[in-house]
Amino acid sequence: MNGKKRDRLEVISDILGIIRDSHNSIKPTPLLRKSNLSSSSFSEYYAELASKGFIKEITDGNGKRYVTLTDKGFKYLEKYGLIHGLIEEFEL
Amino acid sequence: MRPPFPPFGFEQFSFGTELLFTIVAVFFCFEIYRKTHDSYELSRHKGIRYFRDAFLFFGLSYLVRFLFNPIMASVLDFDFVLPRGLMILLFLLPLGYFSTAAIFYLIFSSVWKRFDNKKMLMVGHGIAVLLPLASLLTGSRTILLYLQTALLLLAAVLSHFAPKGGGIKKLSQTRILYILISALWLINLWIVDRVRPSFFGVDLFFQVVSIIVFIVIYYKVSKWAK
Repeated sequence: MNGKKRDRLEVISDILGIIRDSHNSIKPTPLLRKSNLSSSSFSEYYAELASKGFIKEITDGNGKRYVTLTDKGFKYLEKYGLIHGLIEEFEL
Repeated sequence: MRPPFPPFGFEQFSFGTELLFTIVAVFFCFEIYRKTHDSYELSRHKGIRYFRDAFLFFGLSYLVRFLFNPIMASVLDFDFVLPRGLMILLFLLPLGYFSTAAIFYLIFSSVWKRFDNKKMLMVGHGIAVLLPLASLLTGSRTILLYLQTALLLLAAVLSHFAPKGGGIKKLSQTRILYILISALWLINLWIVDRVRPSFFGVDLFFQVVSIIVFIVIYYKVSKWAK
């Protein structure tokens, strides 16, 4: 988050990275704060990540919602550097 | 009147190198498509999609290109069983469509951010259908080559002189590879057209250069698609 406008893939990687770095369990509100996005942008990305199966919501015994990464979410994080490299290499 | 047959050994050698060239070219095209599958599935990035589709279409083009001449030569003798017009239709349409689409997708992969993607795809596929139809209606296979060459020149000029933000874009190594791969397709289409005299050394030279370009692209893809 160096002031330069992030592209879509970078934002996704940042959101997933925040979840992973929070022991793979974080509430939606701190996730919104840490992602450095507007509320509306965050909602769009959140819905996209959930629909693509990168994240899932779990509810604990007290009814509190948490967000966790799925296997696909971990795989994206693992491959993000390679995907970004491919895009840069071929100017896609 | 059909030209006299070339010496048997030469024809056999030429067929063998054509077959080998096709296998290698198609292999690398399909491998590039396969290797980028995960990157696309995870990111759904349009540039990656157009890039891999370009190689899928190039692979199909080289496959149809290889089948075209032996089939055409055989139907000359069996015209009463398989009407030649029908065979031309069966091969020229997919050949023209696949190859034009391949060139378009390669261009799309680097300019997709600048245009309305839906319209861009419609225009691309429309032209990919119209080009072989024009070739068919005029009864000339060569017209397809002329039209694709004009299209490639236009695309090269557009992508060079109309980059995002204006000005003239520096010709990068990737763009040179894109121009090379499209230009080599056109040259290889000339090579397979046995209407003109065949200069075996020249044919082989361009086939080797084509394979080198495919290997370079495959190597670059492999670095980022493990």
